[in-house]
Amino acid sequence: MAPAALSGMPAQPQRDDIDHTWTYLQSGITKIMLNLQEGVDLTTYMGIYTAVHNFCTSQKAVGFSVASNINTGAHRGAHLLGEDLYKKLSDYLTDHLNSLLVEAKSHTDETLLAFYIREWQRYTDAAKYIHHLFRYLNRHWVKREMDEGKKSIYDVYTLHLVKWRDVLFHFISEKVMSAVLKLVEKQRNGETIEYNQIKQVVESFVSLGLDETDSSKTTLDVYRYHFERPFLAATKTFYQNESKQFVAENSVVEYMKKAETRLEEEEERVKMYLHGDIAIPLKKACNQVLIADHSNLLRDEFQVLLDNDREEDMARMYNLLKRIPDGLDPLRRKFEAHVRNAGLAAVAKVASDADKLEPKVYVDALLEIHTQYQGLVERAFGNEAEFTRSLDNACREFVNRNEVCKSGSNKSPELLAKYTDTLLRKNSTGVEDDEMEKTLTQIMTVFKYIEDRDVFQKFYSRMLARRLVHSNSSSDHLETSMISKLKEACGFEYTNKLQRMFNDMQISKDLNDDYKEHVANVGAKALDSSYNILGTGFWPLAPPNTNFNPPEEVSIDCERFSRYYRNKHEGRKLTWLWQLCKGEVKANYMKNAKTPYTFQVSAYQMAILLMFNEKDKHTYEELASTTQLNAEALDPSLGVFLKAKVLIMSGSDKVGPGATFALNYDFKNKKLRINLNVGIKSETKQEEAETTKTIEEDRKLLIQSAIVRIMKARKKMKYQMLVTETITQIKHRFVPKINDIKNSIEILLDKEYLERLDDDELGYLA
Amino acid sequence: MSDTKDKNVQKVTLQSNDNSTIVVDRIVAERSMLIKNLIEDLGDEAIASSPIPIPNVNDPVLRKVVEWCEHHRGDTLQSAEEENDNRKKTTEIEEWDQKFMQVDQEMLFEIILAANYLDIKPLLDVGCKTVANMIKGKSPEEIRKTFNITNDFTPEEEEQIRRENEWAEDR
Repeated sequence: MAPAALSGMPAQPQRDDIDHTWTYLQSGITKIMLNLQEGVDLTTYMGIYTAVHNFCTSQKAVGFSVASNINTGAHRGAHLLGEDLYKKLSDYLTDHLNSLLVEAKSHTDETLLAFYIREWQRYTDAAKYIHHLFRYLNRHWVKREMDEGKKSIYDVYTLHLVKWRDVLFHFISEKVMSAVLKLVEKQRNGETIEYNQIKQVVESFVSLGLDETDSSKTTLDVYRYHFERPFLAATKTFYQNESKQFVAENSVVEYMKKAETRLEEEEERVKMYLHGDIAIPLKKACNQVLIADHSNLLRDEFQVLLDNDREEDMARMYNLLKRIPDGLDPLRRKFEAHVRNAGLAAVAKVASDADKLEPKVYVDALLEIHTQYQGLVERAFGNEAEFTRSLDNACREFVNRNEVCKSGSNKSPELLAKYTDTLLRKNSTGVEDDEMEKTLTQIMTVFKYIEDRDVFQKFYSRMLARRLVHSNSSSDHLETSMISKLKEACGFEYTNKLQRMFNDMQISKDLNDDYKEHVANVGAKALDSSYNILGTGFWPLAPPNTNFNPPEEVSIDCERFSRYYRNKHEGRKLTWLWQLCKGEVKANYMKNAKTPYTFQVSAYQMAILLMFNEKDKHTYEELASTTQLNAEALDPSLGVFLKAKVLIMSGSDKVGPGATFALNYDFKNKKLRINLNVGIKSETKQEEAETTKTIEEDRKLLIQSAIVRIMKARKKMKYQMLVTETITQIKHRFVPKINDIKNSIEILLDKEYLERLDDDELGYLA
Repeated sequence: MSDTKDKNVQKVTLQSNDNSTIVVDRIVAERSMLIKNLIEDLGDEAIASSPIPIPNVNDPVLRKVVEWCEHHRGDTLQSAEEENDNRKKTTEIEEWDQKFMQVDQEMLFEIILAANYLDIKPLLDVGCKTVANMIKGKSPEEIRKTFNITNDFTPEEEEQIRRENEWAEDR
């Protein structure tokens, strides 16, 4: 029946005889198990498969099934034969593995490893073959047993693995593992090892993780228990010892370098020959023993690194401590304190004389510290948000509370606004727009930290007004750019007035053009004049604090303009801000001058000079009564003339009643245009004091309006809640004092905007 | 892609138990899981030089099986789960397979046995469905007649079985 056996396979066995069949199969299986490298020929392969098939389908099986009592219901349908075969195979594997176990005992360390890997490879290769050859058993008997929920019946390949695990692995895994660990330790000590061996051991351990509930799945349980656990323990011990010794003998920086390399090595090790599953626990273990266990040591070194600007080492420390939970918090605290102190020191250095402090020097000092440490955050701390916050906190501290601010917390915004003013004022330095734009951005960096932004706003608007009125702003473009930067930082409301001021100037330009056309059309003889219309609510300007009787030449022109304007915009009231007006006069009276001098003067000065058209000498009283100026305005104007020797004083050694002023016909100057409209020092001082005073007033109003707004929305509110809410609403402008808020509430209670209710509550009265 | 092409061209020789040989494309032979695994295990060279002995199948049956495999050479191999789902629900047989199975009863059973042995699941299914359709709608007596079975139940046994299976009867 069967074809002639080739290659030493006996003829097909009697199909229903288990012993006969097994004897036949065993010789084939042994060949596969021990000499697979020699190959299996077609006949043997088909012979084994057929013998398994024939045994499982032998007539005896069918007969047995029919004979069994059908009422027991133990097996529905046909009985499948195969149990005997399965058991024989299982026993055969046990025997084979037992003999391997005996052999394994004679090996240790690397030879054991080699033995384990070699036998594992051979065994699993054979298992794949046998699995295929016993496929008929798998398909029918094994499948049925498993469908019926029998435990400890596996498909043939899994059976091989289970046997390996139970008979061999459990007895030698510890020894194998210790060999693995020795090898790894060798590698950690710098020797080259045959790491493929470890890789294979890992694969073997992973394969043995069989899911008992579902044999088609694998779990990592076996691997985790027998490989990962001892591996992690050995790793910890190794690095504990190593780091302890290293730290004792080397500097902290050296240790960080060492730890860095070790961590990299371990990551590389996972990729090279470990299972990916170990990556996270291994990293954790290494982080613990290499970093967390030494974190105090590292942190103590941080201040030293900061003091010495050791950027690279700080980056190293950051990267190490980043790896452990809460590792960076202490660094951030130290960093913040350090930046604050550096900022305070920088300010103290330039603040030797607070009154004469140049705004630029001050702002540059602030910026330098910020730039330096922002650079550090970028380069060493990965631009991390938390470090940026520490930097911001520190900057806010030293910008608002430093040596210079001792005299008053307004100093920082004031100086910043002044610096901005010098930048935006027309000057001869000829800085490129790009460069300016950059500087403005830096200004904004400092601005961001300013708490009293309302102070900045006050000073800024005053100075912007001055720049615009005196038309000495360096460029419209830069002004707009600065305004939009502020708008971006603080919102529309903050820059609303600034924007309006700027717009007024544009509108005035157009208006002047129209007016000139109008004058030309009418054909009137007029001065070459121009007018700015400044909206009362937007400009931080007050009407003049003196009476003034403008010279006739001027007043005719002014009235013509007033008529023209009233015609155009009915119902608008014009107030002349004489103190801001200026003009030029030509001096034709000097005989010895070839070309006449031109004097640039204020309106007040112009009125004085024009009086000398009538006669060469005037008494102080005459000047005062004609111009109507009070002493505060008249005296400084005359002072300038005297200093420039345009006028000569007699009759008194002090400007005031009793003095007489005469025109100096011998006036000489190198320049042809002479600016006599020079601001007087005391004037600006006074202005500053005024600005500060209005800030306090404005703050009270701002607090009150915030309170009213809140109460209008809430109707009722606890006292304490109201105070807190007010602070949150206002703090982007300035930091309000609690006392001011309380006072404001009192005022509002008196004015009957609010009422006291029970239980410390306040109510809103519409 | 090149792999499939190779298998369409590469030849495999099968040898029945009466020593006649059939040469088929490898992809056709691999409808049998047994042969597929064998080629995988032993390698291309082993089958290039000598025929694969099929000790349990004779020439006529092997030819019949090869004919089926030729026709179904392009069928996709279904995954185990899909197979379980679709296969069990229906007794429908596609037209070609129906014609293919119009053979005498002995041949039909030989094909089923060979499909089982060679591990060609779809063919085994078609065979079994064909037999199932032969049983469907017949009385036990008719079934016995169809398959030439002697009734070896006692009347008591028969009655008991009928009672136990009452629920399954069409009414």
